[in-house]
Formats: sequence, structure tokens, C-alpha cells
Amino acid sequence: MFSVEKQREHLDCTMAGEFPGSEDQTSDRAEKMKKLEGWLNKTMKIKMTDGRTLIGVFLCTDKDKNVILGSCQEYLHSPDEESVDKKEEPRTLGLSMIPGRHIVSIDIDDITTSTLSNSFNSTES
Amino acid sequence: MFKISTLYTCHIFKMEDDEHFSRQNTSPVTMPTYNWKDITNEFLEASSSLNLGELLHDNSFGLFEAMSAIEMMDPKMDAGMVCNQNKCKLHTLEQGVENGSVKIDNFTMEEQIGIIDTTFACLVTWLEGHSLAQTVFTNVFLHNPYIVEDRCIKVFSICMLKLVDIIKDRINRAGVFEEEDFQPMTYGFKMAADITDMRMCGMVKEVEEEYLKLIKTTRSKASDEKDTSRENDHRLAQGVHARLKFCRLLFSSLVAFSKEKCQGLPEAQKCLQQMGELMSCMKDTIQLGEKSSQVEGKDEDYPTLMGFDPLINQRLLPPTFPRYTKIKTRNEAVEYLGELTEMLKLVCTVTNYKSLHESMEFLAETSKLSPCVLSRSILQLTYVPQNRRLFGTQGMVDVIREQIRAFINPPILNPKCAIYNHPQAKDCMDAFLRDAVRPIVEIIQSCGHNRARQRDRWAHLMEELARLQDEAEKVDAFLHSIMTKQEPNRQHLLCIGTWVLFHTLQVMIRFAQSGFELELYAVHEYHYVFWYLFECLYNWLLSTLTRAENNLLEMDTIIDQQKGGKKRSKKKRKTRPYQREVLTNQGHQSMCGGYYKALVGLKLDDKYKKPEFEFGDEEIRYNHRFAPFGNLATPPAIQYSQFKDMTDITHCQVKPTISDVYSSASKCFQQAKTCYESLTNPNKEIQNLVKIAKNNFVVLKLLAGGHKKDSKEPPDFDFSLHKTFPLIKL
Repeated sequence: MFSVEKQREHLDCTMAGEFPGSEDQTSDRAEKMKKLEGWLNKTMKIKMTDGRTLIGVFLCTDKDKNVILGSCQEYLHSPDEESVDKKEEPRTLGLSMIPGRHIVSIDIDDITTSTLSNSFNSTES
Repeated sequence: MFKISTLYTCHIFKMEDDEHFSRQNTSPVTMPTYNWKDITNEFLEASSSLNLGELLHDNSFGLFEAMSAIEMMDPKMDAGMVCNQNKCKLHTLEQGVENGSVKIDNFTMEEQIGIIDTTFACLVTWLEGHSLAQTVFTNVFLHNPYIVEDRCIKVFSICMLKLVDIIKDRINRAGVFEEEDFQPMTYGFKMAADITDMRMCGMVKEVEEEYLKLIKTTRSKASDEKDTSRENDHRLAQGVHARLKFCRLLFSSLVAFSKEKCQGLPEAQKCLQQMGELMSCMKDTIQLGEKSSQVEGKDEDYPTLMGFDPLINQRLLPPTFPRYTKIKTRNEAVEYLGELTEMLKLVCTVTNYKSLHESMEFLAETSKLSPCVLSRSILQLTYVPQNRRLFGTQGMVDVIREQIRAFINPPILNPKCAIYNHPQAKDCMDAFLRDAVRPIVEIIQSCGHNRARQRDRWAHLMEELARLQDEAEKVDAFLHSIMTKQEPNRQHLLCIGTWVLFHTLQVMIRFAQSGFELELYAVHEYHYVFWYLFECLYNWLLSTLTRAENNLLEMDTIIDQQKGGKKRSKKKRKTRPYQREVLTNQGHQSMCGGYYKALVGLKLDDKYKKPEFEFGDEEIRYNHRFAPFGNLATPPAIQYSQFKDMTDITHCQVKPTISDVYSSASKCFQQAKTCYESLTNPNKEIQNLVKIAKNNFVVLKLLAGGHKKDSKEPPDFDFSLHKTFPLIKL
């Protein structure tokens, strides 16, 4: 983690050096990076264009918002919507990549992160 | 590795989840509770600041892991995608009955035929290597046939379950399938195990009789006026009857095949005979069946008949990439069942071959027809059941001993020789025979695998045979030392070794030839493959056969002498024992020589070019092609440098012209033709070989005469008549 941080700093420095005047932009970028990194290994819920919901551990993303979730579970309906078939059993998908263009919404799990993501991590690797 | 571990952990998760859902559904403690916070916009904004191609990930997660992720919303990979989801709301049979989308009674005969044929199509697709969940069990009636009221569909469905069960069992037992051939997963479906085989046949028979009555009552009499609806009913009843009967007979034949010691073969044969007779009726009535309803824009890969839903089991599939399943058409399915019947009939004839070599030949020949996984499995189980006794009765050691005696008649196995009773010699021989069982059984089993996999197995077998060769050599040397003490003027060299060599060479030839059938060789590689076959393998095979033949004749003479020449004239062999094998293989050898020379000529003539290799060269290819031969001591592998040396035409005192090369090639083909034509009772393969030899002879003659001299057009190699020996076409 540390080395990545360091590299990024280095990158930011060089970029700032190359493009004087874009300082705002780079610091903005660094902030966004931090935000994304903060979400890594946390449980994420993604709604897709076809109505399915996937819940899994956020592992990877890129410029096109393609997201890779680990230990992914598939729900035909959102598991929160109490009205629909409450007993719906999720289907286990494992590692899945969701193309950015098919993402409708993204939610992050805000409190259970510390316990859940750890347990996910240990089994995933 | 990663994939496996993921699957494994998924499985654990799933089990835990199952418990959550089944037992502690209401308890809020065990249910994962989330505190969702929408970050959609934040996320999109943040991710868009990444550079093109830049990945944001943890240290522990790399590109390699990313590669094994399944891609959502890709119809080929994403089994749960909406287009793959169940639209018609058919989840279970019971539910289907409730909401009226499926009926369980009062089927018309059109519907019955349609359902049966579609199920056949699914069965055949399963046998072609697809999963049960995506084929046979897309038929909801099979999920719970007991609640079906219609007798025909009920009995058919139960019979289908029994059939699936026995087919799966047979194929599993034979163990000659690979993942591309067959998927044995049953996904926990019930296979009507509570109904005995006898009762099953009885049940089908009862319903058959109902239809038989209907056939009789609807039969139009000569006096009657033409009644089209009546005639139609008559044909429909015949169609349903034939299908039910076929199903029952197929099931009984498989049951008969699985009887121990081939005791069921006559019964199986009887069933197959009757099945063959039903085929034409089934074929004629296919188009009478209820048609699939065509949904606009939907491809026709899945049948969409009432009671069938291609996606009903979608959620049972493992979270790997779903295999795209195209269900066969009804016509293809019935065609396939017809071929299966014929193949099984052929399987029954395996008992006609009494000697090991003949049977092995039969297995190899049958494999050339590329039979389906079921008939391959049945053949294996019939010939070498799991107790490793041929036909379940003959011990392998005895069979091999008998075979070596028939092949080369070594003194050790001849009761008239003194060494036959030597205890140490006997022990030594018995030990060898025990060790020979494994490679021989492996050769037999290899013939049961699909053609592509056979090549791997031949390569692997050569290692095994190399060990056996080694041992045979030691046995021969040991027996020779004993023998020379007893009878100083006789020898026991190269007896057992010759027999092992015979099998080794056959495996080598099959390996080299399989590359043509599997289209592995490029045209510019043909010349050294044919050269190897011509110069090395067939040469060795012929000398091996000759040595065995001489040994047999010599033994006869010795025995005759011992008997004092009393019965000499009667005992004398009339013909050379391996005349046929020698002639056939001489033919093959000449063919290979012909191709080799023709290719040399074509190369000189600039008719085809060796490509410029960017990576690697001919030597690398050559070494790779013949790599498995390096394991064997005899025949020694020919190195590339030796090949180059031996084929260098500049060594010749007078450098041959292109025309000379062509005409010597045409002579080879002529020789081959003469060899093949001198065989009595030629089989289909030999007849084809004669045609090929004749064609190639003429083509090469034309080339030698300067025909199309200026054309740089490469000739065409047409493998339509034979898998190894192509027709050369200009």
C-alpha cells in the first residue's frame, strides 16, 4: 500500500512538473484516487441495467467504470426490496466483471466493512 | 489454481447461505445487514479521472486474477443475464400446471410425438457432450413424471429417466470419455430408481399395447371410403407406438449389455434388430409431431414446445461460463439414434473375433468410424469389463500367452520344447506376461477414446511400451541362456521382443498417421512424415512380421523333424501365415514412398513452398512431431540431421531430374496398387486405397510427362477417401 502511495506521489509530482498550471487538476485527481482506494475491499452493491443486483467485494476498476467484484452473489431483485420474493436465494458467481456501461447504481456498505471485508479477503486469496 | 480456490470458497459460502435461508431465515442476527450508501455519482466521477488503461486495484489483486473474472452481461458468459432468464415464468412442473402453461393430461398424439422427439433431441445433445440440465432436463415432465396423468407421456418420461441413468452409468464405468465428450453431472435430479428394470419394460409395454389397439381400429379397410382423419390417426398411433417401443428396446438392450460375461448379448442383438426395424416408421412420422412455436427474433437453437424451457435449470449451472447449448433438430436426433443402433449392432460382433490381435484390430477399425461416446463405452465394457477379463471370462495373462504363441510360437510356450518345462524359465515368462497386461489393456482402452485424445494416449503409451521392450529383451536373453544349455544349436533371441515390437510399431504408426486425420500437419510437413513412415516405421513393421513368420515356419519344421516326418505333408502350412498383413503393409509403405517422392518433386518443381519461419524452423517442427519416438530404444528415433543426410539428393552420382523424381513416385503408387489388388476379399478401405493409388499413379505420370509444367498452382491433397492417404489433385 505504501509503495503505491509513494509511486502515485511521484507520478503526481512529475505530472505537476510537466504541466505547470494544472495543479488544481492533479490534486483533484489525487483526492479521487484516495476515495477509490478507500473503497477497495469493501462490500459493494451494484445494480445492473437488466435489473439484477450483485453484491461482492470491490477489487478493481478502470477508466471505463468496469468493476470487478470478488465473492459475488447475484440477486434477481434487489435483496432490500422487501416486497418482492423475500426468500430469493442468491446465486454464487465468484469473481465477476461488470462492464461500466451496464452499471445503473453503486452502493457501498458503510458500517460492516471492518468485519465483513476482512473475512472476505481471507477466503478470497 | 486461483479459479479452483475461488470455486471452493464459493461453495463454502453457498453452503453457509443455504443454512441462512433454510433455517434461520427470520433471525436478523445471521442475515448480513448492510448499511448501503449510494456512491454512484461519486464513483463515476472518481473513476473517470483514471488514465486510459490504468487499473485501480489492491496489491494482492493483479491482472492475472482479473483475467479469470466472468464478464457480466455477455450473453455467452453470463448465465443469469436477462436474455438468458426465464421469461415464461415456468419454474417447476407443479407451478406450470397451476398457472396453466403446462398440461398433464389429454395430450393429442401430435403433441406426444412432438414431446418425445424433442426429448430425443435433448438426449442426443446430451450425448454429444452438453450438460443434462441444459438438455434432457429442460423437459419439465422429467422433473416429476409421477404427477403426469397422460399414460404415454408419463411412461415415456419415466423410461427416459431410467435411460439417462443407465447411459450415465455405462459411460462412467467404461471411463473412455473426456470433458468434451460427456458430462456426467446429474444436478441431483431423481432417476426413478424405485422402479425396477423389469417393471419399467412392463409399464411401457402396456401402453404400447393400447396404441397397438388404436392402430388396429384405425386401419382403413379396402372396402371403406377414404377417411383422411382416420388415416391420419392411424399414422399418428403408429408413430407414438414406434417411439415407445424404441425407447423400451433401447433400455432393454442397454440392460442386456450390462449383464456379466456377455450373457446378454443375444438379447441385446434381438432388441437392436427390432430397433432398426422401427427407424423408418419413426423417420416418416417426425413431421407429424407438434411443432415448436417460433418466437420472433429468437434463434432456433432451443426447442420451444410446451413443457420445454431451455432456461429452467439456468440457476443450477455452476458459476463458470455456461456452455452454449444448441439442441439438435428432431431429424438429426432420429438419425443419430439410427446410427447408434447400427453401431451397437456392430459392437455385438466383437465376440466373433477369437484372437487378441483380431479383436484389437476390430477395435481400432471401429474407432475409425468415430462412434459416439455411448457405443464406444459399451464396446469397451463388452470387451474388457471392469474385472479386466476379456468378455468377462478370459484372464488377460492367458490371452496374451496364447497370442504370443500364435504370433511367433517361441520355444518357451511350445510344449514340445524342452525349455517349456523349465521352472525358472516359466517363472520368468509368467512375470513378463503379467507386466504385459497393463500396456495391452491400455492399447485396447485407447481405442475407446475419441480420435483426438487417442493421439495423446499413443504418445504416452510409447513410454510404457519402451519399458516392456526393455523387459522383453531381458527375458529373451535369460531364456536364451537356459536354452543354449539344453539345446546348444537353438536360440531364443528376439522372440518376445519381436512381439512387443509389433505392438510398438503399430502404436507409432497410428500416432504418426493421426496427425493427418486431425489436420495437424501443414502441407510443407507432409514430406518428412511420409518419409518417416516409409523409411522407418513400415520397414520395421515388415521386418518384424517377416521375422515372426520365419520363426513360425522354423518351429513347424523342428516339430516335424521331431515327429520323424510322419505327418509332415499334413502339418505343413500351405501359405505364409502373415501374407495378408505383409502385403497390406507393403502397400502402405509404397504409398508413403510415393507421397514422399511426389512431394520432393513438387518442391523441386516450385509447386509448393516451404514458408519462411519467423520463429523456429523445419528442424524444430520435425523434432516436435516425432518427439514421443525418442522414448523408444527400438526402432531408434531418426534425428533431423540423419533425415537431412539420408534425403539429400545431391549425394546421388547423377542428380535426378524433376521428371525422374515424379516417375519414381508414380512407380511407388503402382507398386502399392499391385499389393492392394493382390489381396483377396478386399474390404472397403482397401478398395478405396486401390482407387487412391490408381489416381495418384496417373497424376504423377502426367507430372513426369511435363503436364502443367508452368503452373505454380499447388496441388490439392484430398483426404475424402482415406484419413491418411490423400488423393493428389492438380
